[in-house]
Amino acid sequence: MVAMTQLRVGERAKIVDLSQVSDLVKRRLLDMGVTEGAEICLKCTMPLGGPFMIENCGQCVGIRRHEAMNIQVKPL
Amino acid sequence: MMHIALVGNPNTGKTSLFNQLTGTYEYVGNWSGVTVEKKVGVLRSKKAKMIDLPGVYSLHPLSRDERVVTQFLLTESFDKILNIVDASQLERNLLLTVQLLEFGKPLAIALNMVDVAERRGIFIDQTKLAEALRVPVVPVIARTGKGCDEVERTLLEKVAEQTELFTLFYGEAMERAIERFIASWGTEEQFPVRWLAIQFYEGNSYVRDYVAEKWPEATWRSLYEQAEKEVQHAEQMSLAQFIYEKRRSFVKEVIQQVVQRTEIGQVTLTDRIDAVVTNKYIGIPLFLLAMYILFQLTFDWLGAPLSDLLDAFFAGPLTDSVTALLEAIGASEFIRALVVDGVIAGVGGVLVFVPQIFILFFFISFLEDSGYMARVALVMDRLMEAVGLNGKAFIPLIIGFGCNVPGVMAARTIEQPRERLVTTLLTPLMSCSARLPVYALFVGAFFAAHQAIVVLSLYVLGISLALILAKLFSLTILKEETSVFVVELPPYRMPQWQALWRSTWDKGKGFVKKAGTFIFGGSVAIWLLSYVGPHGVNVNMDDSFLAMIGGILAPLLAPLGFGTWQAGAALLTGFLAKEVVVSTMNIIYHVPDVESLQGLMATHFTPLSAFSFMVFVLLYVPCLATVATIYKETGSRKWTMFSIGYALVLAYIVSFVIYQVGGLFGF
Repeated sequence: MVAMTQLRVGERAKIVDLSQVSDLVKRRLLDMGVTEGAEICLKCTMPLGGPFMIENCGQCVGIRRHEAMNIQVKPL
Repeated sequence: MMHIALVGNPNTGKTSLFNQLTGTYEYVGNWSGVTVEKKVGVLRSKKAKMIDLPGVYSLHPLSRDERVVTQFLLTESFDKILNIVDASQLERNLLLTVQLLEFGKPLAIALNMVDVAERRGIFIDQTKLAEALRVPVVPVIARTGKGCDEVERTLLEKVAEQTELFTLFYGEAMERAIERFIASWGTEEQFPVRWLAIQFYEGNSYVRDYVAEKWPEATWRSLYEQAEKEVQHAEQMSLAQFIYEKRRSFVKEVIQQVVQRTEIGQVTLTDRIDAVVTNKYIGIPLFLLAMYILFQLTFDWLGAPLSDLLDAFFAGPLTDSVTALLEAIGASEFIRALVVDGVIAGVGGVLVFVPQIFILFFFISFLEDSGYMARVALVMDRLMEAVGLNGKAFIPLIIGFGCNVPGVMAARTIEQPRERLVTTLLTPLMSCSARLPVYALFVGAFFAAHQAIVVLSLYVLGISLALILAKLFSLTILKEETSVFVVELPPYRMPQWQALWRSTWDKGKGFVKKAGTFIFGGSVAIWLLSYVGPHGVNVNMDDSFLAMIGGILAPLLAPLGFGTWQAGAALLTGFLAKEVVVSTMNIIYHVPDVESLQGLMATHFTPLSAFSFMVFVLLYVPCLATVATIYKETGSRKWTMFSIGYALVLAYIVSFVIYQVGGLFGF
């Protein structure tokens, strides 16, 4: 189990733990179907500590790096 | 008349469907949050009214536009719900559907984007979906209008007035809690109290306020805490999470029954575009390049030649034929002067810029409709984070380039209240299209060789100041609030010409309308003020009332490089709408066309003072319509006054520095 920030671009992983993410962000991720057990793919990252773009069931979502750091995933 | 509410997730084509069903056209874009306010239209058959609501993922609101939906359901009377569902994202769409079904109103589902889903290997059995949810399901392609007749027929005929209430079983502990709530509530509501109970336990902030109006805090708190404890004990999950999980497992079951998947390994076009557009290294340069091309097209390549043609027409054939006509009917000298020097000079001076404004709006519509806007939010987030905002705040700023009013309204989609406030206050610094005529006038006169660069520098100045002030405000008024950023990135799509033209026209027509009303009236008033003075009518303009009024401001403006009564009067009238500055100048300098006005101005301004004047016009106060919108959005007189006050101070300081420092360098 690693933080999402450890993934390489293009790598797929399963979300294991969202409990460290702030409530508001967690709610929004839930709304978009990014939940524990969901399979995601890291699409790209922005430079200088910028946001991450992840894909889940064909839906792309942008989140900040420090939120991604709090998301625990299991690479597939 | 029957009222039908249109509800669905963001960016599922709600507004497109609304436009198809009602025959009107609303603003359509490809980013979450295009609709921030409800809109009402009449169905083509004139048998029912349709209400377009902002897109929501859930009835439990996080941002202000989402509150509009929950508020609508709770407080307004309507008859049926049309739930638009994105077939390619069935799971999260149905999570909302479940909440709507629990609400108990007759409901029909419009299943949109079936084509997109099929391309991704998702095949939905509509009959089974209709059976599983016990509501009519109609497949549509909202963008082209396919299936819309069927939707209308279903809404009017097949959706029963009274349906058996959809009930999802939430497990024993939760059901006991729901029953306790219903038993204590007592009063009749227009909707099932069960729905109210579930939303209350889920933590819906709007519903909680609604409940708190009726019950003392101790009552609802003890109900909530008891439920929380029992569910935690029975299910080892928080109340909100448990309710969500229950809904999700129901939705998953439904999907299992109705969806067939085939693996399609192909890389989609969106993936390929994103590989470039959101590339780590070229994402930001590409955005800047796109902006640069946009400005070149608007000003140099396309806009300027068209404007020149129009200007020649106003100054030549139009003025001549109107003069001839007025002479033929024997109009008095006064009327002739009023029409030619007042109306044609004032209104025509602004209408000349219609091509540029439409080109700008066209490209903004293109950015919105294609799906690039959401990527801009992603690409710019790092920069916005540095100044205490988030990437989503960049969208209102870009829309503000077209017009500040929708820009201010677009700020609603930002979740955090203070970030929203700061974005609202800063959007007027974006150089809107109404300021364009002013720039075009001055750059044409003083910077003919470097038009695009000088105008671009004003846009960049506006953005830079907005970012600096954002940082300043975030260190003062919005400290202690952490910024939040989660953005949905929709698939790209090729905008349809018809939709593009419609939204361009929709935005641009306000400008044309303003020319016919505000600017027309303003031109007549300004001309009259310049025609009449304390010593009678038809006075030398320097002795007119206008000169007196402008003269009061002139000494104040002298340190900025334009201490003339003409500049003072023009700026004063510019509060109505910024393009009135040009009308006023046309009337004051009493010239037939923009070209000769530019020649004349060379004697009143230097290039440096002209630049200083443009900067002042860019910053000095939001126009009347924007001020009204800021008041509406913030609901606070204090912040509205602040938005005017800080802009004036900022404009004065920046223009002062530019003029004085520029003078030192000998410009």
